[in-house]
Amino acid sequence: MPARDADRLALAEGVRQSLGIENELTRPQARAYVRCLQTTWQVPTIVWGERESAQQLSDARRLLHSAHIFRSIEGPGSTRAVDCFRRTGEILEWLSRAGDNIRSIVPIELLAAAAYQLGGLPAMATGLLDQVESEHEGVLLYAAFLQANFDLVLRRAMLFWRANGDLTTRNASQLLLDAMASEDPDRGVSWGFTVELIRCLGLVADCLRRGDDGRLKIAMAKLQALDGMAARTFSDDAALVVGLLRQVAEGFVAASIYKPLRALAEIRPERTSLLLSYARDQFSRGRGILWTSQIYGLDRLLREASFALCTPTGSGKTLVANMAVIKELLLREHDTPLSPLALYIVPSRALAGEVEAKLNAELGGEVIVTGLYGGADWGITDYWLTSERPVVLIVTVEKAEALLRYLGALLTARLALLIIDEAHQVVPGASEEVRVSFSDHNNRSIRLEMLVSRILSQRPDVVRIALTAVAGGASGPVARWIEGRAEAQAIGVRYRSTRQVIGVLEATPGAPGRILLDLMNGRRLYLRGKEDPVYLPLRYQPMPQLKATWRNSLNRFNCLNVLWNALHLAEENQRILISVAQEPEKTMRWFKEALELDTWQALVRFLQPEGDLRARYEEACAACHDYCGPDSFELFLLERGIATSHGQMPQRLRRLMVEMIDKKICPITVATATLTEGVNLPFDLIFLTSLKRRSWDAAKEESIVKRLSTSEFRNLAGRAGRPGAARGIEGMTLVALPKAISATGNGQLQTQRRQMRERAEDYDTLRRQLLIEQQDADVVDSPLALLLDCIWTQANRLLGIRPDDFLDWLEKTAPGDVSDDAGTGSTDSHARLADVMDELDGVVLTALEEVVLIEQADMTPARAEAALRALWATTFTAVSAARAALLEAAFIRRGVGMIETIYPDPAERRRLYQYGFTPLIGRRFDAVASKIRSLIVAAGNYGDLGAVARIDVFENIGTLLQGDRGFGFRVRATDGDHAILANWPRLLGWWMHEPGAPGPDPKDLRAWQRFVADNLEFRLGVAIGAVVAGAWSEGVPDATTLPSLAEWKATTRLPWFGFWARELLRWGTHDPFVAFCLAQGLAHTRKAAMARRAEFDAWLDGEIGNPEAEDRIDPQYFGRWQKSLPRQERSAAMADETQVRLTGTDGGRERYPVIPIARGQATEWLDPAGFQLAVSVDPNRGRVNRWRSDYELHVSEGRASVNRVFRPGRRP
Amino acid sequence: MSLHTAPPPMAALQAWLKALGSIENEGNYGHLLLEQVGVCDDALAAALRPYFESAHLDAREYFHRQLGIDLHPDGGRAAEVCYPNCLPETAKRGLFGEVMAGLVTEAYQSEFVGSHQWIVPIFLFRNHDDVENYLWALKADPGRAREIYGRHGTDFVGISLDAAGEVARMIVGECKWRRNLTESAVASLLYGPKVENEETGELERDGKGIWYEINRDSPIPWGLRQLQRLLELKDPEGYASAIYSIDRAVLGDGAKPERTDMVLIVGNGAKRRDEGDCLIGWEELPVDYTAGYALQVVEVILKGGEELIAKLYSSLWRGT
Repeated sequence: MPARDADRLALAEGVRQSLGIENELTRPQARAYVRCLQTTWQVPTIVWGERESAQQLSDARRLLHSAHIFRSIEGPGSTRAVDCFRRTGEILEWLSRAGDNIRSIVPIELLAAAAYQLGGLPAMATGLLDQVESEHEGVLLYAAFLQANFDLVLRRAMLFWRANGDLTTRNASQLLLDAMASEDPDRGVSWGFTVELIRCLGLVADCLRRGDDGRLKIAMAKLQALDGMAARTFSDDAALVVGLLRQVAEGFVAASIYKPLRALAEIRPERTSLLLSYARDQFSRGRGILWTSQIYGLDRLLREASFALCTPTGSGKTLVANMAVIKELLLREHDTPLSPLALYIVPSRALAGEVEAKLNAELGGEVIVTGLYGGADWGITDYWLTSERPVVLIVTVEKAEALLRYLGALLTARLALLIIDEAHQVVPGASEEVRVSFSDHNNRSIRLEMLVSRILSQRPDVVRIALTAVAGGASGPVARWIEGRAEAQAIGVRYRSTRQVIGVLEATPGAPGRILLDLMNGRRLYLRGKEDPVYLPLRYQPMPQLKATWRNSLNRFNCLNVLWNALHLAEENQRILISVAQEPEKTMRWFKEALELDTWQALVRFLQPEGDLRARYEEACAACHDYCGPDSFELFLLERGIATSHGQMPQRLRRLMVEMIDKKICPITVATATLTEGVNLPFDLIFLTSLKRRSWDAAKEESIVKRLSTSEFRNLAGRAGRPGAARGIEGMTLVALPKAISATGNGQLQTQRRQMRERAEDYDTLRRQLLIEQQDADVVDSPLALLLDCIWTQANRLLGIRPDDFLDWLEKTAPGDVSDDAGTGSTDSHARLADVMDELDGVVLTALEEVVLIEQADMTPARAEAALRALWATTFTAVSAARAALLEAAFIRRGVGMIETIYPDPAERRRLYQYGFTPLIGRRFDAVASKIRSLIVAAGNYGDLGAVARIDVFENIGTLLQGDRGFGFRVRATDGDHAILANWPRLLGWWMHEPGAPGPDPKDLRAWQRFVADNLEFRLGVAIGAVVAGAWSEGVPDATTLPSLAEWKATTRLPWFGFWARELLRWGTHDPFVAFCLAQGLAHTRKAAMARRAEFDAWLDGEIGNPEAEDRIDPQYFGRWQKSLPRQERSAAMADETQVRLTGTDGGRERYPVIPIARGQATEWLDPAGFQLAVSVDPNRGRVNRWRSDYELHVSEGRASVNRVFRPGRRP
Repeated sequence: MSLHTAPPPMAALQAWLKALGSIENEGNYGHLLLEQVGVCDDALAAALRPYFESAHLDAREYFHRQLGIDLHPDGGRAAEVCYPNCLPETAKRGLFGEVMAGLVTEAYQSEFVGSHQWIVPIFLFRNHDDVENYLWALKADPGRAREIYGRHGTDFVGISLDAAGEVARMIVGECKWRRNLTESAVASLLYGPKVENEETGELERDGKGIWYEINRDSPIPWGLRQLQRLLELKDPEGYASAIYSIDRAVLGDGAKPERTDMVLIVGNGAKRRDEGDCLIGWEELPVDYTAGYALQVVEVILKGGEELIAKLYSSLWRGT
């Protein structure tokens, strides 16, 4: 180490400390950012002078120099250099976006983008450069390079070569030298340099995306030499840009996805080409250059099997998961006869859809990817079970549980990989709610914990990967849990893919709206009380005065003010989410009523999309019409470009709404928080209309007010400004706050003043909490620990159980001994305690029963103890909780008590396990299960029945459930919900699409949908599913029997109705054929699917003649009919080989990468470095998007041809 | 390692040039007039050659390295090139001026303002055609305003090290060659070329000459940073303290190195010039110089300078 390096580092550290600390902005930096935002929003800016710009530029240069010192001494991975680069990028970006005249010194966006790339923030670089509108071809070319958009680099380079044909000849280098030696001022050293630089960047881009390391080395050597030359001969700024391009290029080379994939290929060299084409495909999707988090993740993937990857949303975790799928399913040799399977656990059904689409687009050719979309437990086709191809199952925890009950032994035998997305969700939230969720049996954390733990204890060798967001601070415990090692550490990377601004949208009657900005990435933008607040005054007309009845509700005034501003902002191409805390139907109604007014109508400038998107939009409208009705708010809003989404919306419509947002068809969205749970959608702006949820506790007769937690808020805010998706670089999350009351009559003044004050206080509280950084914790709450602790504290408090007696009490006491109301949804404290105990029993019973199934041996207290001890060791609780030993003892004692005292009958335990309810509720269900089964068995003529008779079958089953509050129907304690429950058969008719069945009034739609989701889809579906699963288990000779449609009826001894029932409830139809068509995408609406019925019936008649009732709904026939349909022909003729004439090569290398440029009727085939190699004449054939493909020139035996060797794939 | 190491050929210089130096303005303004007294013959060229080769060695290596890499897929045909010999005459004369700045600084330091001990560890050769025009626009556009992206940077940087090896002072120079140092040519150099005044219709100097450039240069010229980069690459141990002190200067931490500005004009004397005549007055600090550092003006008045340049540059790396 040179003598003064320590001194140099100290100097650089001084600069970093004063200017570049990640979570702190200096006051001038904060001001620079505010000015930048104000300029972007075209509103008057704060006072700012040229000297301040000069100072910022000087700071940026000092930071760059410090980064240089850190890098040259600490190496390219120096995190302190990263800090300096990031801040440099920010300062330059802010100056550049503020339209500062320093842009006349150098294209400053290029410097900013390069600094972001070197600071490991590629998305910021891309986002910033997306805004660049340069008149200069060179700036655009370098911008494309700094965005890692290699397709575009090549396109721009080729435009250059087309315009400079004289430079593409074989002896072009010599021409340039000659030109340099001449006195022509327009063809000097700099021109020669520029031409060589374009050659270099084109070649680097092509070699990177093709994975051609040999020529990449040459291109990089040339780039380094050019940089060396620029540093000596060019002006400071030109040299700086060239130097940064060189450094960024080196970063790209180091981060190419080819590198880890080649390393992976060593596991199974014969599959190298598969991996290389995967890598090439990633480049065409803009993901060929790995982000830091991905490099770390893949490094672990290469070295080890299981690990936790802990980086924020948007940092590219999915790619790591995909590579794990490749490694474990496609590269490893498996000695089982069945193909391997990966279980990919996601937190929501919506996310399952997103992951499924992405995985299918990338790996669909090699593996079967299925989210088992629909209602049936193992899907309506059996191809994933019987195929020899590896399978990825994307499931929620609930779906995984159901699958395990059905096919446990099969699944565990095939399981090769377990991926847990959003694994931090194993940490339960606030404790009071958690306790209630235990007693309501709807706590997801414990389901996740126990599912994973059971899998780990049954298959300790299975490879598992946890993907988690940093938020929640549980990375350490999650890593220990997943890896099963006390010293395990999560792979964590500091990373923000976007900038988040938090503030307020102020609403004052009669005045234009105004945005107050408070925080940027958790940093204050101004000092309250010391500096002027930072405002963005909006330039639109104020919202017209509302009718008196409307403005008497401050909430309505506030919501409509949001819509008024959103409609204006949408015109500026902003994508907006209006996030409502509750009762979305009320907001939707307000919006509809406002948009019916003339003044508002004029603001709606939504144009239906053109081209392919038109069909998608029409499909969404049709589905909305189908499921919500012609008069629904949802359809009214959708027709005006406003998408809606909430948790009760039918799944198919929700998917389509998400598509309307994702494809940027609808600029405005109104939704509850369920829309954004884990799903990436492109919003620039998020408005929150409230920070509170209110509900009514009927038992206590009091209103429950719940504030939005900071983690909920952070999750929501994280959806704003998604990289590459949104227009601006930052996402803004604005809380809508009225600044004056809206009512004009005296009656409401006091109330509105109080409401206004409360809203302001809610926001202040939130803002303060957001300033406190989340810390990683070593000990965090765990679900099982909370569950056990909840039992202990309540037993002690309610029943007076003393600490020394607790374990004995726990071993012997049944939930029914604690409360007669157990399992009825009662909110009484004793009943709740009993229900929490029942929840624990469910956990224990499931675990023990699965052991019995695997080991095929009776359960004894001693075996139970051993099994539970082994299970405990694999729980999240064991690695995360304090007092783990005590909790473990309680867990085991309960298990022993279950076997000995509480549920001593093994046959009953088996049945209870199959049902999937908690045992106490399962016992009651046992009594109706046989009745349900009889009803299913009796439905053998379902295929021939009319709609009403079919729906009666469901009604008869539902009647068995309607009275029970455990497994049966449950509604909220409101008058409206009680009325719905009393009238549920009418609602069933509507949902199951009974002809002529009246639908709800639009304002009641969501309440109906809620009943459908909670009780018809869920509870009725679960009950039927439990009976069907039981029938299957009874019928199979052993647990490893492969289910198939061919064997289903013989095994279950049930008619096809049993197979379809859940699916019908999910799709809202009485006809299995309709469900099939919708699930397979053969029709867009239920009506359209019904219209195809005749087509199928005719086919069936022709196929078998005189079909019977069961034939009409036999899924095997549906499948065969689908296969008989004519397939869509591949659109473009492939025509991949072209004969060419060699022009600039003797063909000695035999194979040459080439890129086409069109010139008249001819295509010139150029080397990526800009040398023409061959020419062909192929008038106008297949010239679409050619620069995104790879072509290769082949020369052999005097024949020369060009082949397309890579064609970009479909983007999901 | 290709740092510049050749000593100035003192004997040849003394035979070639007559030095007339002065220090005025309380020791802040130095003026050095170097008039040719000897002949520009082969012997002079041979004597200068080692110094010029040493000065050009680093750039030559880089130029050759860059040009030696042929990106054509069939490769194998490295261009035959010999830098800087291959450059056009105009470019060579520009380079000559820049090397002369170093040579004069090293050879005549006792005559320079402040009498500091200057070294020139490496030469930066600035290419004065508008690289930005090509780099940003990807084409030469004669209609485009020149220099929209700012100044080129300093022509020349030398340093003076203290006992600890840190940069105590830097000398930053603008060096210009003109074939005929007529009054008008020198005025163009100092005050910029003539352009038409839109209001009066008269031709006036545009003001963007040497004084303008030198006065607006940043306190720590970026050229110093580039010099540092080359030292880091070539001799990080030997120049450890100098490198550190440049960090300090660039980062604005602690006292900055002292600075001397230099203006060097080299070319053939005008026909009507008398011996001892100066282009820039030696008695008073030029009023147009407002940067406030110590200033050293050097005038090198030659006869047949362009023949010398041609002779010298054709002999580089070819002489015996």
